[in-house]
Amino acid sequence: MDNIGIFLQIMFWGLYAGCIYILLATGLNLIFGVMKIVNFAHGEFLMIGAYITATVFLLTGINPYVILLLSMLALVGIGAVIERLCFRPILGTGKLNEIFLSIGLIYIFQNGAAMIWGDAWQSVKSPYDGITVPVGSLNVPVDYIIIIAFTAAILIALFLFLKKTRIGMEMRATSQNRKGAKLIGINVERIDIISFGIGCALAAAAGTLWVVSGQVFNPYMGSIPAVKAFAIIILGGLGSIPGAIIGGLLMGIAENSAAYYLGGIWKDAISFIILIIVLVIRPTGLFGEKGE
Amino acid sequence: MKYQVLFIAALLLVAALIAGCTQQAATQQTTSAPQGVIKVGVIVSQTGPASNVGNNMWQSAQVAADKINANGGVTLKDGSKAQIKLIVGDDESTQAGGQKAATKLITDDKVDILVGGYSSAVTSAYEQTIAEYKVPYIVTGASSPIITHRTDIDTSYIFHHCPTTDTYGQYTTAFIDQVLRSAIAKKSGFAADRPLRLALLYQDTAFGKGVQTAVNNTITKDKLNIQLVSQQSFKMGESDFRTPLTAIKAANPDAVYLAAFPNEGAPIITQARRDIGLNTIFLNVENNDNSQFYKDLGQYGEGAIIESRFSPYTAPAGAVADGQSGYKQAYFTRFGTYPDMMGASTYEGVFIAAKAIGNAGTTDKATVRQALVNLKMPQVIEAMKDQTISFSPDFRESNFDLWMEQLAYNATIGETRPAIVWPDNLKTTDFTLPSWYTAGSA
Amino acid sequence: MEFKRDDLIKYGLVAILAITAAFPFISDSVFLLNLFVLMLISIIFASAWNLLAYSGQGSLGHAAFLGIGAYASTLIAIQSGISPFITIFLGATVAAFIGVLIGLTCVRLKEWFLAMVTFGFAIIVQALTVSILAPMTGGWDGIASPRLVSPSIPGYQLIEYYAILVITIASLIAIWYIMKSRIGLAFLAIRENELEARAAGVDPVRYRLIAFAMSSYLAGVAGALQIHHIGYITPELYGVDNSFWPITFVILGGLGTLAGPVIGTIVLTIIWEGLKATGLTFGRYVIIGFILILTIIFLPKGLVNLPERLQVWWKGRGRKGIRAVPQKE
Repeated sequence: MDNIGIFLQIMFWGLYAGCIYILLATGLNLIFGVMKIVNFAHGEFLMIGAYITATVFLLTGINPYVILLLSMLALVGIGAVIERLCFRPILGTGKLNEIFLSIGLIYIFQNGAAMIWGDAWQSVKSPYDGITVPVGSLNVPVDYIIIIAFTAAILIALFLFLKKTRIGMEMRATSQNRKGAKLIGINVERIDIISFGIGCALAAAAGTLWVVSGQVFNPYMGSIPAVKAFAIIILGGLGSIPGAIIGGLLMGIAENSAAYYLGGIWKDAISFIILIIVLVIRPTGLFGEKGE
Repeated sequence: MKYQVLFIAALLLVAALIAGCTQQAATQQTTSAPQGVIKVGVIVSQTGPASNVGNNMWQSAQVAADKINANGGVTLKDGSKAQIKLIVGDDESTQAGGQKAATKLITDDKVDILVGGYSSAVTSAYEQTIAEYKVPYIVTGASSPIITHRTDIDTSYIFHHCPTTDTYGQYTTAFIDQVLRSAIAKKSGFAADRPLRLALLYQDTAFGKGVQTAVNNTITKDKLNIQLVSQQSFKMGESDFRTPLTAIKAANPDAVYLAAFPNEGAPIITQARRDIGLNTIFLNVENNDNSQFYKDLGQYGEGAIIESRFSPYTAPAGAVADGQSGYKQAYFTRFGTYPDMMGASTYEGVFIAAKAIGNAGTTDKATVRQALVNLKMPQVIEAMKDQTISFSPDFRESNFDLWMEQLAYNATIGETRPAIVWPDNLKTTDFTLPSWYTAGSA
Repeated sequence: MEFKRDDLIKYGLVAILAITAAFPFISDSVFLLNLFVLMLISIIFASAWNLLAYSGQGSLGHAAFLGIGAYASTLIAIQSGISPFITIFLGATVAAFIGVLIGLTCVRLKEWFLAMVTFGFAIIVQALTVSILAPMTGGWDGIASPRLVSPSIPGYQLIEYYAILVITIASLIAIWYIMKSRIGLAFLAIRENELEARAAGVDPVRYRLIAFAMSSYLAGVAGALQIHHIGYITPELYGVDNSFWPITFVILGGLGTLAGPVIGTIVLTIIWEGLKATGLTFGRYVIIGFILILTIIFLPKGLVNLPERLQVWWKGRGRKGIRAVPQKE
């Protein structure tokens, strides 16, 4: 097999895997952009989304891609509750507090999920499992293509929502200038809840797509992707969606290369090494940040 | 002023409570267990990443104790019969937790013997305590040989009843050399002296590296005609293996040996065959022999090999099969799920403890230790060499008769099912290469 | 109010000290003795983390220093034969050195960037320990570590206990001095408002590095003590759990105070062991999570502040909520 062929293959796998990171990172950008809060427990929403989809699928047999919408809606609700109960009271008391709060949330969600579903690894089989589509020289499972398509669709829908709807514009206004937004009459508290909810819905989508692709999942699945998503948005520039996408792809390539050349244990470490090097050179991230 | 007094009073109250509780515990010790009770401490991970296995181990111990007690318990030297009482200690999958659990079981609960232990890192943290208080400990879940090979402390009270990474690395490599090579040579028309091209994909942890070391050492020591064409590692918990698999495919192996957990092994094989086109024989370690693995593999498991000693779907015909199904039934009746192999060895561990105490006739720890050293008891539910459980004189390790199973696809169920193909005294069918198999070219 | 709280803290700490010193004579449970030893070590570690947080830097990867101190002390002791009592402080020095290096990358970063970077460093140090440094460190298998006090000495458990108690008290006294000194005031200044501190002539970078050095030194002491107590070291020491526990202890007790880490560690240890006895497994962590969140929202200054808050609440009853009572800070 020629090197270009291998390289293209790895790029393709990276693209499909990157969808999960892109959805997570976009959600984080949204939440951080509007509320300026740091929630390390974001990965737990991915996990809950995954379990909701898996459970409903196992109970009812409905096509998991349809359950995706249900899962996203459920997480808008859960996200709104968490925002109102946990993050609203400590808004403004400093980022450290938010970080510590998210540690508490991580404990609760991960172990709560373990209590309900047990902590063994599980997986479900997509109804399209086994169907493959020839793409170039590869035989690609049709699920991967659907996942890429869904991710693109969600991102486009989000883009349109932010650009064309009134709430979307209010969200953008709040993220750019919170005080100014309040002055012109935007209900920033409502915008907070909505942003948080949408961010969580995106995480739920990521979790659902994770499950649908046949990957194994357990209550602890969310923590590493969340931390990596944070690294990605710092690298790509806080609030920048193209930055997040590029950052995600770069990260995926770097990770796989590190695992190959240095050994498996370096896969996680390399993300942080890159992050640290970038931050030492540019303490505000690759593409700078829009006001903190 | 009054707040200070209140605060100090509160703290002293807490201290008094602690003191009171310990006094109570102490008095419970002195009025002690009623005559005729043998206290067996079971150290497992009830929380932490290993809790799944830990619960299997604890519940299996309970099933074993129930069975022993139902049959009258253990007979001591004076003719009296003693019942087994299990006391569990949670090592929390951490060193500190392990030390706390061991100390509590030994000094507070004053157990007569200990069974259990899973993570080698955790177990090594409290081996000191074992050595100090000289309590016999039958380790049934840890796969690192270090447990009894350590030289910095006295491990004479520790008995290892669980195959180590050395053992399964060695067995699997022997199988590859003796069975796999000739089958491949016959099918592909290779010369008899062509080295077998083996690739290794292992977890970057003590477990995975232990297997890697064992395979390398076996090949060197026994001068086997096997060439390791690729050795790739991945981090524990990984889910995307396509990069290392691509590298392995580029090295043209005849077979790939995986040192992985089931949640990694199933995706590895699936991604290899479905996405990368690496259609070869995959060999797996025994911990993958559980129903979730078969479910996740689906059709892609066809032809794969699992080195095993306890399977949900097969067993060597005869006494072992009967013993295993009896155990699984009893476990299912009590807990509603099925046990795994760490549970099986822990089940046996309790029986070993009971037998040793029975042979010793007393719960005196030094005598019981000697009884364990001299132990020769018939195998319980897992196949042992010579159908006997006994501990090696140098490192007190027991000798499992491991077997290799090959998976065949059953279209009705939609999953593969195993059949034992090696060694000859246990096999039910012959090893065959699947029709789609392609050997690696030289 | 300030005066009363200081007194309260002092009396409280003295009481705790008296109890821990007298403890072996109250109860002869080896299990509890061992538990107390582990708890004292946790107090040192939590206080070390607290010191860094006092300067405004919240590390999510403090286990790195726990491990570096432990590995360094173990390796030095094995290679040179020097007693662990001395190598502990040598190992801690190595940890402090690495801490400064890590600090250099962090000093100009915003808090949550720093949190992520420190988190990453724990992972990187672990990766180094099991790969490149494996021949020295034993890799994943780990190596045996010389005991603090050899079990062949009679009464070694008591000797070990009191030795660790003395080291704990010494650490707390050191931290108390630091907090009261000019350095401590500088920490406070750069935590509260970096711009003003700079204007007042306090160089944030310099003091942040000093904080890193001190904090990682103490963390290294804790790590070395723990490993010499247990007798065997493995890379799991760098794990995320070890980084998160001190955070939970300190927040519950009261961040930025001397007594906070002490009280938080003791209270949570009691709660944790108590929860273990109930047979709850995952539920334990859920409860700890709730305690942490409730503390952050309702008792942000920690248990140390509880008497004051109760007093304020008590005075405010019957009026229009507690805001009716002017709150003194």
